[in-house]
Amino acid sequence: MAVLTVKNLAKTFNVGTAKASRVLDDISFDVRGGTFVSIVGPSGCGKSTLLNIISGVEEHTSGDISLTSDSGGPARMGYVFQDPRLLPWRSVMKNMMYVQNDRSEPTVARCRKYLDMVGLTKNADFFPGQLSGGMQQRVGIARAFAVEPDLLLMDEPFSHLDAITARGLRAQLQDIWAQSKKTVVFVTHDVVEAVELSDRIIVLQPGGRIYEDITIDLPRPRRQTDPTVATLQAEVLGRLEAMKALSRTASEVAA
Amino acid sequence: MSTTMAPVKARRSTTEKEQETPAWQKRLTSDRAARIAALLSFFLFWVLISWLFLRVPGPIEVVQRLVDEFSRGEVFGNFGKTLYRFGVGVALATVVGIAIGVVMGLSQLGRAFFESPVLVGLSIPAIIWSFLTVMWFGFGDLSPIVTTFLTSVPFVIVNVAQGVRGVSRDLRDMSTTYNVPLSRRIKDLVLPAVTGYVAAGVRFAIIIGWNGVLLAEWFGGGGGVGYRARWWYDANRFGGFAAWVVLFVGFIVLLDRFVLDRMIQRAFRWRDASA
Repeated sequence: MAVLTVKNLAKTFNVGTAKASRVLDDISFDVRGGTFVSIVGPSGCGKSTLLNIISGVEEHTSGDISLTSDSGGPARMGYVFQDPRLLPWRSVMKNMMYVQNDRSEPTVARCRKYLDMVGLTKNADFFPGQLSGGMQQRVGIARAFAVEPDLLLMDEPFSHLDAITARGLRAQLQDIWAQSKKTVVFVTHDVVEAVELSDRIIVLQPGGRIYEDITIDLPRPRRQTDPTVATLQAEVLGRLEAMKALSRTASEVAA
Repeated sequence: MSTTMAPVKARRSTTEKEQETPAWQKRLTSDRAARIAALLSFFLFWVLISWLFLRVPGPIEVVQRLVDEFSRGEVFGNFGKTLYRFGVGVALATVVGIAIGVVMGLSQLGRAFFESPVLVGLSIPAIIWSFLTVMWFGFGDLSPIVTTFLTSVPFVIVNVAQGVRGVSRDLRDMSTTYNVPLSRRIKDLVLPAVTGYVAAGVRFAIIIGWNGVLLAEWFGGGGGVGYRARWWYDANRFGGFAAWVVLFVGFIVLLDRFVLDRMIQRAFRWRDASA
């Protein structure tokens, strides 16, 4: 069953003014429960705007979005941002609890479980400023999983981290996702990362349209060193390069 | 081609420099020494001025008058009355100021509604409020309490509103995404983010409120520090007047140093822990 359905979605900034610019145009896709879907594309193609619209932070201009919850109630969302977005004056554990629906014992236990999964049990009473950037991002990931979301949105969560930390966190994310099987929509500009993590990759092109929807049918867990992963990464990268060349030609013709 | 390598002079680390500094030099250049030097300078200036001008009472005379006031049993009763009025006024100003400040910071409509009254409140001096409240409420406790409240509340409101407007947009968006309830957002996001502004507002409120309460007591009577200072002023006894001035200035300094400062340090312990 689809957890997220997006139909003919469009977004125009500064509607009705001379500065109006369309960033998303006729976007339609759905995401089935328990799948990991990545949205990739060059800078400025509307990836983050799409995620902000799905999360409700930003309004869309036209089209429909529907979210389905397993429980029948309103759908619960988790969000991992580019930066960790933790309350600096609250401890790690209190940051986890800040976004929870209730303060019950099972909720506390669930927060502890996810903190344990990202290896930060011992740091539960630390303030965010006492942790490294990678550790703070791990808290952000644990917080998002701990709300038991129907849909988990991730907006380039490893883009601010160094390569080694990012690689470690990607492996950790794969492990947590394999255990929780949450529905994830992951935005990235890194095709290599997308192939390593996803069941499906939606490629956005400049102008905010869907260029291609690619299914990644590889066994898990995946590691970058695996030759089959590397081959597919090269193939997807090639398709993306072709799209960029096509976009360039189209804009030159239009000019 | 030949190259000449200039020897690099070995530089000492800050720890090494610290270890080599003699203890007496460290003590002389400490913050504590600077504070003591300021107090001593003020004291010497006071002695000099009182020696040059007859109308300025010296430290010894002031202390004698203060001891006299203690022995007459005037200090605790009057000081207690003032503290009660001041405490109630400032507490009310803090609670009401935070509530209105949060509304002004969060809502455009709230800001439009409260902006003009707050501006008017800021522009009215404590002396005007003290005249008005004495005319409205007479010589009881109410006029100094209301004067304290009215003089200090605009400062709390302005500071809190400014702090709320500065709350990180990223953290607000995060709270929206996770559907965090408004009450929890105010408690865990807005209030801690504005602690510094609240502290600055309360500090202002205390200093301005203290002016208010003393002026209301000065003009409204009914006992208290302001009333007693006026009593000595009317008697043309500057030593007694100065004794009360020293008493309440000393109280404000101690309150700021040992209560407010420590509260602020506690509120910001997360910042110290992160450093």
